[in-house]
Amino acid sequence: MIEVRDAVKKFDGFAALDGATLSVPTGSVYGLVGPNGAGKSTIIRHLTGIYRQDSGTVAIGGESVWENAALKSRIAAIPDDWYYFNQASIRDMMRFYTGFYPNFSMERYEKLKEVFSIDEKKTIRRLSKGMQKQVAFWLALSCMPDYLILDEPVDGLDPVMRRQVWSLMMGDVSERGTTVLVSSHNLRELEDVCDHVGIMDHGKVLLERSLAQLQDNMVKLQVVFQDGVNEVPPELPVLHASKVGRIHTLIMRMNAEEATAKLSTYNPLLVDAVPLTLEEIFIYELGGADYAVKNIVL
Amino acid sequence: MQSRTSFFNGTLFRKNLTRFWPLWGLASFVGALFPLALLLQLMRRENFYMWNNPLDFTEMYYNVAAYGVPVISLLYAILCAMMVWSYLYNSRSVGLAHTLPIRREGLFLTNFLSGMAMMLIPYVIIGALCILVSVVGGCFDPKGLAVTILTVLGLSFFYFASATFVAFVTGNIFALPAVYFMLHFLAVLLDWLVSTFAQGFLFGLSGGYTGVVEWLSPTVYLEDQLRVDSTYEIITTQTSLTGAYSETNQLTAVRLEHFWLIGVYALVGVALLALAWLLYRRRRSESAGDVVAVGWMKPLFRFGTAALAALLGGIALYELFWRNFQDGRYYEVAPMLVCMLVAGAIGYYAASMLLAKSLRVFRGSWKGMALVAAGCVALCCVLHFDLLGVEDRVPEASQVKKVELYTANNNYTFYPDEDAELLEQVRTVHQTIVSDKDDILEGYDRRMWAVNSGDVEYVSFDVTYELTNGLKVERNYGLTVTRDRMAQAGTYDNLLDRLVNSEAMKAKRLHVGDSRYDISSGYLYLEAVGDSFDLNSREAAAVLEAVGKDARAGTWGTYDWFENDRRDCYAMSLELSFTFMGEEGHLRGDWISINVRPGMDNTITCLKDLGLVTDDALRTYGELYPEDYQDYADYVEKYGMGAVEEAGPASVGVIGGADGFAAVVVS
Repeated sequence: MIEVRDAVKKFDGFAALDGATLSVPTGSVYGLVGPNGAGKSTIIRHLTGIYRQDSGTVAIGGESVWENAALKSRIAAIPDDWYYFNQASIRDMMRFYTGFYPNFSMERYEKLKEVFSIDEKKTIRRLSKGMQKQVAFWLALSCMPDYLILDEPVDGLDPVMRRQVWSLMMGDVSERGTTVLVSSHNLRELEDVCDHVGIMDHGKVLLERSLAQLQDNMVKLQVVFQDGVNEVPPELPVLHASKVGRIHTLIMRMNAEEATAKLSTYNPLLVDAVPLTLEEIFIYELGGADYAVKNIVL
Repeated sequence: MQSRTSFFNGTLFRKNLTRFWPLWGLASFVGALFPLALLLQLMRRENFYMWNNPLDFTEMYYNVAAYGVPVISLLYAILCAMMVWSYLYNSRSVGLAHTLPIRREGLFLTNFLSGMAMMLIPYVIIGALCILVSVVGGCFDPKGLAVTILTVLGLSFFYFASATFVAFVTGNIFALPAVYFMLHFLAVLLDWLVSTFAQGFLFGLSGGYTGVVEWLSPTVYLEDQLRVDSTYEIITTQTSLTGAYSETNQLTAVRLEHFWLIGVYALVGVALLALAWLLYRRRRSESAGDVVAVGWMKPLFRFGTAALAALLGGIALYELFWRNFQDGRYYEVAPMLVCMLVAGAIGYYAASMLLAKSLRVFRGSWKGMALVAAGCVALCCVLHFDLLGVEDRVPEASQVKKVELYTANNNYTFYPDEDAELLEQVRTVHQTIVSDKDDILEGYDRRMWAVNSGDVEYVSFDVTYELTNGLKVERNYGLTVTRDRMAQAGTYDNLLDRLVNSEAMKAKRLHVGDSRYDISSGYLYLEAVGDSFDLNSREAAAVLEAVGKDARAGTWGTYDWFENDRRDCYAMSLELSFTFMGEEGHLRGDWISINVRPGMDNTITCLKDLGLVTDDALRTYGELYPEDYQDYADYVEKYGMGAVEEAGPASVGVIGGADGFAAVVVS
């Protein structure tokens, strides 16, 4: 289990983490989402041992990450700006990783060579951004990690390779029980792979639930009211409302049954509950936290 | 497979060496050229006569170790440090390094050792070639080699440790060499700067570099202290063919003086390394890119830069804009303060901009700037009003271990046990000069115009007191002496004349009765006949004794303060050389130039007895070059001394002599 409790990290007085708390169950795929500057990369750098929190705890499997070489040998991380030595080829970096990660599997490395089909003698610097990202996955997955921590991991990968990479990771999750924490802005993609989601803003994790819980906690309803009712009754607890023709689209923070029951008092002509996408949940949750995108999106 | 908690990671070590091989490869190649060239010469027997003794090689090693290795290591260490610690200065690379399953002490030790390996590989290659050269030359000296190896190891360790310490102070690859060189030369720079600045305010304070804290600038200190002490023996051989004798110098012993300093600096290196490790433990990865990576050092950097800029820039601006308007010899406090404030502000804001990585540093900065201004005002006040009592300080006789005096074109050394009376006279003159400060400063320019008039003369009074507590008090006074004041008892002019022209001082000049000094040789050039002679020690001793007799007879040694030329001296150069054992255990030399005048019967007789001088050679400069001295005399006679004064002392050259001016050239 990955666990962060009340983590605070300040840079020159600015709190990049301001009491952040999250927990990632073992064997789960956890999507960390949030607007730019929310603190996602900062929390990831704590989880990989780069930063040390000013206060709070950052632990994996009950052990503190900071200066814990044994624990870190079970963690593979791919930051959004993965570093490689300037003149190094893939093979050079592989040798470097084998010197540090005791579980590094040459067998896995050779198998993945076929998946990624990049000449391992090539200098990484000369590869495209997407290919460099593939190399990062190639090496990270060869480390046979128990924990995979990824920051914007599939940026720059083509759609086919994205699927391939996710497929490999899902394989590790199901076969080896790997725990994955992934930060991304691609909510559509996360929706397909994550079973848990945490939403961050202003250095805090605003909420974290399983995807099912999250979707159950908020509902989107398409409603057609009786003739003469042109506006949504003000007493209804609506997070957001819009109207096209006679159809009102309402977002409410409750489950579908509860929302339908509340609307039934107005005898609507039509009530249809539509599941929310992760993107919509993200927008409306952050809308409550004064995140000013609702007017841009809707 | 690596140990999970290892303090050393072989992969990282090898990676560093393979990544940065061009650096140590090039250093090895360049360094190897020298022994290889020597080897080729030896193999061709071009230089076989140079290398006939193992000590010749040892001397060569020591010379490189003493004068080359400190500078080479200083430069090479920072290059190696910039390589191995470069990962600290980039957020991507520091991210990778700190994500790896190795503790920071593992990273620290492995990177340090790989840097040390890069430092030593070239030395190992060069050393191996040197051994080869020694063996080929048949001159292998294991002791010399061991001392050289220890020197190289110690200095390499110290310099790389200091570079490593700086690497953890800063977070910017470009700041690393700048801070490193600043660290290594700051003490020397500050010494010079503070001395120069204080000299501009304080009457009599000697300017320039004092060397008090030179040990804090190791390269300068090592270059000064590490010396090769070679002992030679003169071997006289007779050629069997011709029977002629020839003399050669045979090196019999060689040692590296102050070799122990290497050990001391190596220990300092250990301390710096420990500090570097402590800084790494507390270092925040996010400091990558910062000029100063350690939080508490940031104010130090900001105010240190401001102080340095205020002093250095203040002096520069003052010299540039105000020196020509200055009244008197010393800084005027208000203009200097303005210059310091301008330069200090530039330094303060430049440092703030570097720290903030932004040009917007002015808002709210008035408190810091006020502190800088207060510091400038305080410093100027302390010096201008001499609040520390530096100007008035004349050490008590009981505090003094030794006094060195330069005045009237002669150097003197006094020891309290042997020269108590003279030392007291020196102190009295010094005290009187200090008391007459206002008068000396007020009339200085006016009297300087009258120098060479026959009634006014310029004289230096440079005195250095070595105190029993190891400190030095050094003062340097440029004075004018006048005939009028010299006639008045109690003036410094009078006291100085009484001191310099005392019998005891004449004896001092000739080192009479001073067992520390041995007369070693002499030289005589007779300008009238164009002959020159080298005097052996016996001849020189005879001449010295004769000069001593003339001194006692009153025909030599009285310093005439207002005599400007040598027209009445015989046209000859007579120099006597002495040797004495210096305090550091070295044989040192001293010499005296004797102006021989008519009336010095003992000296002239002695020179004649030794067969060095005939009557033909006994012609004065006035007789030999009447046109030169006549021109000057005519000019003075025709236009008066006022014309000379009006022309001003555009150029006054003084050619020294032991018993008075040898010549004064006015152009």
